[in-house]
Amino acid sequence: MTKNYLEIKNVDFQVDGNVKIKNLSLNIRKAGEIICLLGPSGIGKTTILRSIAGLQKIEKGSIKLKSKVLSSSSNHIDPENRNISMSFQENALFPHYTIEKNIKFGANRNNAAYKKKIDQKKIVKILNIEKILNKYPHQISAGEAQRASLTRALVSNPDLLLLDEPLSNIDENFKEEIQVKLKKILKEFKITTIIVTHDSNEAFYLGDKCGVILDKKLKQFDEPYNVYHYPNSVKVVNFLNRGVLVPAIVTGQYTLENEDLGIIKGNFVNEHKIGTQVKLLLQPEDLEHDDKSNLQLYVVDKKFKGTNFIYTLRTKSNKNISVFVHSHHVHQHQIDDTFGIKKPIHIKHLVCF
Amino acid sequence: MKNFNIWYISTFLISLIVILPVITVFFSFFENTSNYFEILKDTFLFEYISNSFILLLGVLFLTLIFGVSSAYLVSFYSFPFVNFFKWSLILGFAVPPYIYAYSLTAFFENYGTAFTILKSLFGEGNYNSYIPKFDGMIGAILSISFSIYAYVYILTRASFFYQSYNLIELGRNLGFTKFRSLFKIIIPSARPAIVAGLALVAMETLSDFGAVDFFSINTLTTAIYNSWLSFDDLVFSNQLSFYLLLFIFTFFIVENFSRNKAKYHSPLQGGFKKIERIKLYGLNSFLAFLICFIIFFLSFIFPIAQMLYWTILYPKNYFDLNIGELILNTLLLVSLSSLILIIFSFISNYGSRVSNSKFLNFLTTISISGYALPGVILAVAYITFVAWFDDTIINFFEINSIKKMFIGSIFGLIIAYFVRFYSLSCNGIKSSYDKLSKSLDESAYLAGYSKFKTFLNIHIPYLKSSIFFVSILISLEIIRELPITLILRPFNFETFATTAYIYASQDLLEAAAVPSLFLVLIASLFIILISKYILKESND
Repeated sequence: MTKNYLEIKNVDFQVDGNVKIKNLSLNIRKAGEIICLLGPSGIGKTTILRSIAGLQKIEKGSIKLKSKVLSSSSNHIDPENRNISMSFQENALFPHYTIEKNIKFGANRNNAAYKKKIDQKKIVKILNIEKILNKYPHQISAGEAQRASLTRALVSNPDLLLLDEPLSNIDENFKEEIQVKLKKILKEFKITTIIVTHDSNEAFYLGDKCGVILDKKLKQFDEPYNVYHYPNSVKVVNFLNRGVLVPAIVTGQYTLENEDLGIIKGNFVNEHKIGTQVKLLLQPEDLEHDDKSNLQLYVVDKKFKGTNFIYTLRTKSNKNISVFVHSHHVHQHQIDDTFGIKKPIHIKHLVCF
Repeated sequence: MKNFNIWYISTFLISLIVILPVITVFFSFFENTSNYFEILKDTFLFEYISNSFILLLGVLFLTLIFGVSSAYLVSFYSFPFVNFFKWSLILGFAVPPYIYAYSLTAFFENYGTAFTILKSLFGEGNYNSYIPKFDGMIGAILSISFSIYAYVYILTRASFFYQSYNLIELGRNLGFTKFRSLFKIIIPSARPAIVAGLALVAMETLSDFGAVDFFSINTLTTAIYNSWLSFDDLVFSNQLSFYLLLFIFTFFIVENFSRNKAKYHSPLQGGFKKIERIKLYGLNSFLAFLICFIIFFLSFIFPIAQMLYWTILYPKNYFDLNIGELILNTLLLVSLSSLILIIFSFISNYGSRVSNSKFLNFLTTISISGYALPGVILAVAYITFVAWFDDTIINFFEINSIKKMFIGSIFGLIIAYFVRFYSLSCNGIKSSYDKLSKSLDESAYLAGYSKFKTFLNIHIPYLKSSIFFVSILISLEIIRELPITLILRPFNFETFATTAYIYASQDLLEAAAVPSLFLVLIASLFIILISKYILKESND
């Protein structure tokens, strides 16, 4: 049996005696993988990171890194002896030291005992913080502070890197660039990482695997594509907020029928008996626009997203569904206009509950 | 019990030392006393209580007017010397009430400084009958008010400073006149801070010994002192302390409550914007300047000028005084006390930080209640406790008496200072510690630093300026302190405060001027350092 790089087994994560997450098990199979944990605010994502880092003890289960037990009900290795680095959501830069000295705190361990070295200058350059090295934390912006904190965590060359909302303070127009750079660094230096975020786009881009935490449990842990296209519960669908659930009846091995949209074809992700009442997940990209179609719905809202429009349409039975249309589409529709849906409807994955 | 560690033991010991005087006072309340109590109850007790009450009302009224008006003007308006007044209005603190009392008397007494000025201006005349006499109750009220109004000024100004917009402009926007804005918006917005300042004033007033003793006003504080010194009745002295403590702890609770409430009146971190002051012109500008100048002049320049005048007029007093020895004695007390207070404050604060225990926080809260204890009560209770401990416990084990080690010794004096000023030191370190987020400690742990290394490399460098600030604050309090030093000092060991007191109590005011002047000058230096620190910290 292959040994996992990180193994979290049946752990209850708690704060002041209140269990935030129950019986969580999660593995990172090999070094260099990036895991993203998604979930609403206050659910306990940060508690997971703090417990892995050793800043909080666990009462149940065990956490192993490279086959060594770091935490269990009877064992707790102090955080300074774990070689785990963490970038805090609030940055936690030492206010009385310059950014350069702050980063040196992270490099301390890198220089002392560990063979694999991370080039500090390279990371400083990639994350574009050369100009602020001689400044103090109160003299820089929140985004710069976040990048400085990230650098400090990276240069410590940890066995495991924990990032708590690492890009939450970075400007939207700069965020994508930093995401790319961060992923490049993590992959180049093979840094095994767990990232906590509430931003599903960020998680889907950065993570080799994504976990969704809801109702004190890890609801789904899978590759980003699968989490997005094959959500395993209504709660995950609602949390990701990427589609609507419409009622339908299974009419065949590859078909089902909805009273507003008619026959829908595709491959069922799970098996359903013919005649079963189900709720079908409709994501904006599942339906296609066709002006000539005889299936016409009314536009109730239109969101411009740059590369595309998302139209919200009202069906005859007063349900709202969303449809993705390329922004270069020949003509645009206004609110209260009719909007044609291409028939027959064919959806690649039929996700039903 | 696994958390019962070094932090618990040390914090528990600190709390115990601080709480012992209160416990002593409490138990003494149920003991029998000499006949003095019966005599006093039938004669002067009511007078003591009513005098304390009148004094309190008078001081509260004046400090409210001085403190709020000056804080209002320097916070919201721009006029000549406003930046100077901003910190110089605190300088009144450098003049303890008893020294102010000496100056006030020296100036207005028959043939005093006022008389000399009038005589030199207008020639011989019967000026004494025209010069008002500020002695007795009025003198005490004025002396205490000018000396401690800065409590109200500092807290009110801080409250105004942390408003994120100019409340006058906001009021105008809502259609209020400046006058209406003051009473409808500005004062209510700073009410918790004003109440906290007044509660501190009340505690200090009820604790005052030097000024009321000088003006021969019988208050509860002087009664405690006299029953100990003149009637040698420690138990009764403690019983009077019990009554006084009831009043003082009421104000202590009010102060704590208001201070907590004041926090909610302050904006959250990051939401704060420096107020743009409104520029005043013409008569308004002159009036604002005049009000601040009068308060500054009367609270600081007037007493210092009087002391300086007498020092120059009677240089013999200067040469008779062993200034070097007084400075050395003061330095010894200040450095030893600061060192011990800061070390214990660190132990307590660091313990609270790393152990995150509610019980430890509770003990810390007890240990900071010492500042509410008037010096006289503290000293008398301290002597009572040491005497009891020596007579019962030490005697039981047949060991040599410890009285000499604890009473009338530097060691004993420092223990008493510790109880009195521990809150200053502990809170001073705490306020800076609280700004250092715990995630910074965690970042250091994750970078491979042990707790001790984190303490040395993160905490100490970060807190070094607040250590300096706290040492100055302790030094200022110790140099001004009178009753504890007077009662507990070793034989022939004098400070500027006790020397001034001894001369003044012998009616040698002109001789009291020299130690008073030195005391005020050193205290002023400390205050300037403190105010510069505060202004830098608050980016004001």
